[in-house]
Amino acid sequence: QGLKPIVSTESPALIFGTTTKLASDLPATDSFLGKNKVPDLQKLFQKADGLPVHLKRGVPDKLLYRTTMALTIGGTIYCLVALYMASQPRSQ
Amino acid sequence: MAHQAHSFHMVDPSPWPIFGAVAALLTASGLTMWFHHHSTQLLTLGLLSMLLTTLQWWRDIVRESTFQGHHTPTVQKGLRYGMILFITSEAFFFLGFFWAFFHSSLAPTPELGGQWPPTGITPLNPLEVPLLNTAILLASGVTITWAHHSIAEANHKQATHALTLTILLGLYFTALQATEYYETPFSITDGVYGSTFFVATGFHGLHVIIGSSFLLICLLRLIKFHFTPNHHFGFEAAAWYWHFVDIIWLFLYTTIYWWGS
Repeated sequence: QGLKPIVSTESPALIFGTTTKLASDLPATDSFLGKNKVPDLQKLFQKADGLPVHLKRGVPDKLLYRTTMALTIGGTIYCLVALYMASQPRSQ
Repeated sequence: MAHQAHSFHMVDPSPWPIFGAVAALLTASGLTMWFHHHSTQLLTLGLLSMLLTTLQWWRDIVRESTFQGHHTPTVQKGLRYGMILFITSEAFFFLGFFWAFFHSSLAPTPELGGQWPPTGITPLNPLEVPLLNTAILLASGVTITWAHHSIAEANHKQATHALTLTILLGLYFTALQATEYYETPFSITDGVYGSTFFVATGFHGLHVIIGSSFLLICLLRLIKFHFTPNHHFGFEAAAWYWHFVDIIWLFLYTTIYWWGS
């Protein structure tokens, strides 16, 4: 990772740590590990689009976030109903 | 664009903390519904939302560090303090169960036959599978140190091999312990011996599973080139946790398995 002295939400240049291992440094025998996609991901996540980090990747992030939100809100309602019913003096 | 004049990380607004709190609520009330009303729906919902929240929260931390560069040395120092404090709290957690064990075993009551192990309990032979498990975890401590050195020396292939070996050893331990649980002549309901044995070793086993999962995530990140020779705190945190799990096992083995048999 890069060690940045200042943090800004827009970076015209890619932030590389001087110790980042580049794909070109790998010997040919390591090709089974795949290409190093970290520089591309760094570019993607440092885009100045104003999105918060949990939605930065767009559609898949939004879907996962909404699913989690639905489960937690739905679960809370279910929880309150279940606890209300459980607190009634009659047996179910 | 405003720039900050300090080296700390001001995170983007995030929904995960409150979702995590709700997940804890659902899990806790889910346990209640399971224990008292034989219903597992709420518990399932709680565990599922806990899983989703933790995965996305930690995914975001990887994004903030590896992809956005927010983990300055100052931030990393804070993370180190945090992990150390967390592991310390876990040590106290286990201390409680060891206290319970010694409370019952140092002065066995007449109800137990005035002896430890209590009358009627045949303990496991500490020189059989438990000794093998000790060797496995000690070996995994060696392999994880090998992996760490490999990362620091930019030896990507060896680091991958060493970390994979560590995880396999962890899984081997879990599998062996599961078969041991199946084969024990006593159960958790067999008095205070059963309670102390299974609660202490059970929570340890859970921590082995948690540690193995943490290491697996590190392996995936290692394969994807997230770690650099100078900056790989995620791996170090996993390694600290793994050594902690190993040390707890050594205490369990020497006290409950060996002294207590």
